[in-house]
Amino acid sequence: MPSWPTETKYISHATLRVDAAPKVKGQARYASDIQADGWLYGMILRSKWPAARILSVNLDRARQIPGIKAAVVVRDGEFNVRFYGEEIAAVAGTSKQACLDALQAIEVNAEPRLQFAVNEDLARKDGAPQVWEGRPNVTPGRSRERGNVDQAFQECDAVVEGFYTTPVQIHNPMETHGNTVWWTDEGITAWASTQGISSVRDGLAGALQLDQSKVRVITEFMGGGFGAKFGAGAEGVLAARLSREAKAPVRLMLTRFDQALAVGNRPSSFQKIKMGAKADGTLHAFEGENYGTAGIGAGGDAGGGGGGADIPMPYLYPIPNTRVKQSAVAVHAGSARAFRAPSHPPASFGMESAMDDLAVKLGLDPLAFRLKNDPNEIRRREYAIGAEKFGWKEKYQKPGSAPGPVKTGIGCAGAAWPAGGPTRSTQGEAQINPDGSVEFRLGVQDIGTGTKTVIAVVAAEMLGLKPEQITVKVGDTNFPPGPGSGGSTTCASISPTVYDICTNALQRLQAQTGVADARGENWFAACKKLGVTPLVVHGNWIEGLSTNPACGVQFAEVAVDTETGLVTVKQVVAVHDCGLIIDSLTLESQINGGVIMGMGYALYEERVMDDLSGVVLNPNFETYKLPGIADVPEIEVVLLNMPERGVIGIGEPATVPIAAAIGNAVANAIGVRVGSLPITPARVLAALGKIPPVAQT
Amino acid sequence: MKAFEYATALSTDSARQLVAGNGAYLAGGNDLLGLLKDYLIPGPGILVNVKSLPGLNRIARGGDSWTIGALVTVAEIEQDEQIGKVFPGLHEAAAEIASPQIRNVATVGGNLAQHSRCWYFRQRDVVCLKKGGDLCYAREGDNRYHSLFSGNDCISPVVSSLGTTLAALDAAVVVLRDGKEKRLSLGELYQKAWTEPAAHHSLNPGDLILRVEIPTARTRSAYLQVSDKHAFDWALVSCAAAANVVDGKLNQPRVALGSVSPVPHQVGAADDFLEGRMLDDDTVSQAADLILKDAKPLEHNAYKVPMAHALIRRTLLKLKG
Repeated sequence: MPSWPTETKYISHATLRVDAAPKVKGQARYASDIQADGWLYGMILRSKWPAARILSVNLDRARQIPGIKAAVVVRDGEFNVRFYGEEIAAVAGTSKQACLDALQAIEVNAEPRLQFAVNEDLARKDGAPQVWEGRPNVTPGRSRERGNVDQAFQECDAVVEGFYTTPVQIHNPMETHGNTVWWTDEGITAWASTQGISSVRDGLAGALQLDQSKVRVITEFMGGGFGAKFGAGAEGVLAARLSREAKAPVRLMLTRFDQALAVGNRPSSFQKIKMGAKADGTLHAFEGENYGTAGIGAGGDAGGGGGGADIPMPYLYPIPNTRVKQSAVAVHAGSARAFRAPSHPPASFGMESAMDDLAVKLGLDPLAFRLKNDPNEIRRREYAIGAEKFGWKEKYQKPGSAPGPVKTGIGCAGAAWPAGGPTRSTQGEAQINPDGSVEFRLGVQDIGTGTKTVIAVVAAEMLGLKPEQITVKVGDTNFPPGPGSGGSTTCASISPTVYDICTNALQRLQAQTGVADARGENWFAACKKLGVTPLVVHGNWIEGLSTNPACGVQFAEVAVDTETGLVTVKQVVAVHDCGLIIDSLTLESQINGGVIMGMGYALYEERVMDDLSGVVLNPNFETYKLPGIADVPEIEVVLLNMPERGVIGIGEPATVPIAAAIGNAVANAIGVRVGSLPITPARVLAALGKIPPVAQT
Repeated sequence: MKAFEYATALSTDSARQLVAGNGAYLAGGNDLLGLLKDYLIPGPGILVNVKSLPGLNRIARGGDSWTIGALVTVAEIEQDEQIGKVFPGLHEAAAEIASPQIRNVATVGGNLAQHSRCWYFRQRDVVCLKKGGDLCYAREGDNRYHSLFSGNDCISPVVSSLGTTLAALDAAVVVLRDGKEKRLSLGELYQKAWTEPAAHHSLNPGDLILRVEIPTARTRSAYLQVSDKHAFDWALVSCAAAANVVDGKLNQPRVALGSVSPVPHQVGAADDFLEGRMLDDDTVSQAADLILKDAKPLEHNAYKVPMAHALIRRTLLKLKG
């Protein structure tokens, strides 16, 4: 059985991102930086109706705009559009302005539907306009029951009931979706901003009916995906079709506006939770009813990879008597996609809010209540460590008891992430040159988490070199196949693979050169003995070096201005485990990023759909609000290094519990629950009963 | 955006002639370029760069009043130490505007003349009342950011923080109109927006803001706003106040609210009430009641009433120094 070295020079230490310098200097070529010879701008015409029958699309006038080289309709014949922003046609031209003018010149003959439902409450009503013909908007729903719930509630000493809601959140990676696609007689090359070069290749090949061998996808650098960038997407397929027609590379990058409409989101949740416990704090009965929308996609996927609306209930806590009912609601809005820890942040917010509400009713400290009911040993350790760092005991006071109009409060919550394990098919290779230079090539991509750095750190450790002596190439489907960067699986996939490549390399070097141990100071002498031919060695993911799952806990302290409603997060402590730490620097970055993203979910972010017009009202960063530097407090990251468990991914659990921790801190500060995210000043004032009744107009 | 001509004016006369009937003045461009990119306004046929107009980027520090040129940037106001002492409210308002990058190029004139931020107006595919349609979508729809007061069916509020503060400071805006200088109070600058849905200020086509004149009659001023976020976010409600404080009593007090009305919201009865009163909790609370007396909250913006009440109280109490 292979095992990780116990004495390490780089693994579990802090290594600066290997591509930090090119990124900071602006030399890193992101997908949106690609300028292939003779490239054209590409742009998509989107539906301005939330629902319509498209009868015909006439591109003639668009083609006559000077500079326009190609124009295509998404499909032949009549078709339906089911949300504001759905793709209708696309153009390619020599300038951005030519494309904008061409989009305005496209004639769309459509029958707009006057009835549509863009929000959950309307879509759920009897007789609501249907998103899909012949199919009700609300899925029949799934129920499961364990124990005897009705009787169990009778046996409880305290029962709480709450309604907790979470909004549709948009991924909004720094780099928008998009690509440059060049279709020639030899096949297609796509420079894509993707977290799955293989899935994009297969998607393009499938959609365009080409052999997979004729499609090459390259992603040198990309600016984030968070689950929304696995597929080829309409932007990929349309760019390819435009490229074929124009006989030139087409660069089709979406705008921030597009990003809010059509390339994924986190489903909403509306959770009715009833929960009871015995006087000693033992959870005894749970009833949860949840619905949410995944847009036009109303799938009931219970999470993991999909964009379904179901969430795990009752989340972290084994409750003997449990009844859960969930359904999904289709609305006329863009479809959900997997989003960093799909289904977990809403589950955490609902359940962890109910936990605090029940603790208050029982007169228990919420942390003690969790320790009483959470059987996970690692999380219990993390709570203990975090409480100490955070000063939980000193800071905790009864809800609403802080003096003055600006009240402080604290809260905590836990996370689980069941994935984080490996993609077992991961492969890679290394080319070792006679001069001692070495290049690792893996068909994975760096979504921004530091994948290249992980490869360099593991390779340097195993070969006795320095990380900067390792050249890392990723993001090319010509390399041996790697995993998609999702589910927090990347690190656990590539680390054992690089280990295997290195082990194989050392064996081959020994066999070919006679150097018994080519590591470290022997490396260059051994390589020189290769003569003139580089050594290329292959490796696979191997068993025994990685595992799953990971978890974590987070603590938050807030100050709430009870006169203006403004919430200020003052301090966050995040305690996380992910087995063997590879690089503590990129790991801390993942946790900082996860916390900040979760803060946006807690306090600012919400896609707002307008019932009357059916449009997205906030397709920009002016009114789709994201945390800025002034909003983010000191985040203390505490890491548990557990080498005995092997490598586990971390990207997802880091963003799960913070919204619940902040929500609990707000409730602790003001003595009442704000049950809906985002916790805006308006909602805080409403919870405090400070808003005057409004006369009906 | 649509094609347009571009010219740089070197005198106010040539600027006026160039902009003629369907042109637009370009200074910082923060607001204008957004409008053009989203096809929210008709035309303009020509953009007239006014950044080179002589004299408009000056701050003149007089005894009775100061004048601040229309091309002075928001960052200059924020960073001017004397403004911080003489008009602290103006300094505080400037420091809350947008981001440092935007403040570096945003001008006083542009901030005062900026268009509606209503998310229905800004939505390129919604034709609302303000854009010549026949319906204010916000009235029936999501009006969380909208007005508590309005004299017409449009409920898009004024969002100029400088406008709100200059209103409390009793400043005048000097505008070049038909070749002549015209002095407008802040109330007059926005009056048309109170009654006409399509208007966001009272300026005529071709009017050019030259400068603002701020009397030094009030030695104390203050500005506060609340936003969803802690920086780089529009005010949900903003409040400015100015006065002298003599032996703890208010003299010539003025209060103005932003983001709650198409115009800076000022209530003469409240200013009258405050005159000569001790600056204490009771006084400021009663003033806040008067200022908000006629508020007509809608389904999603009623939170602005308690928020404004708190801001009025706090801003006035800040005048204590």
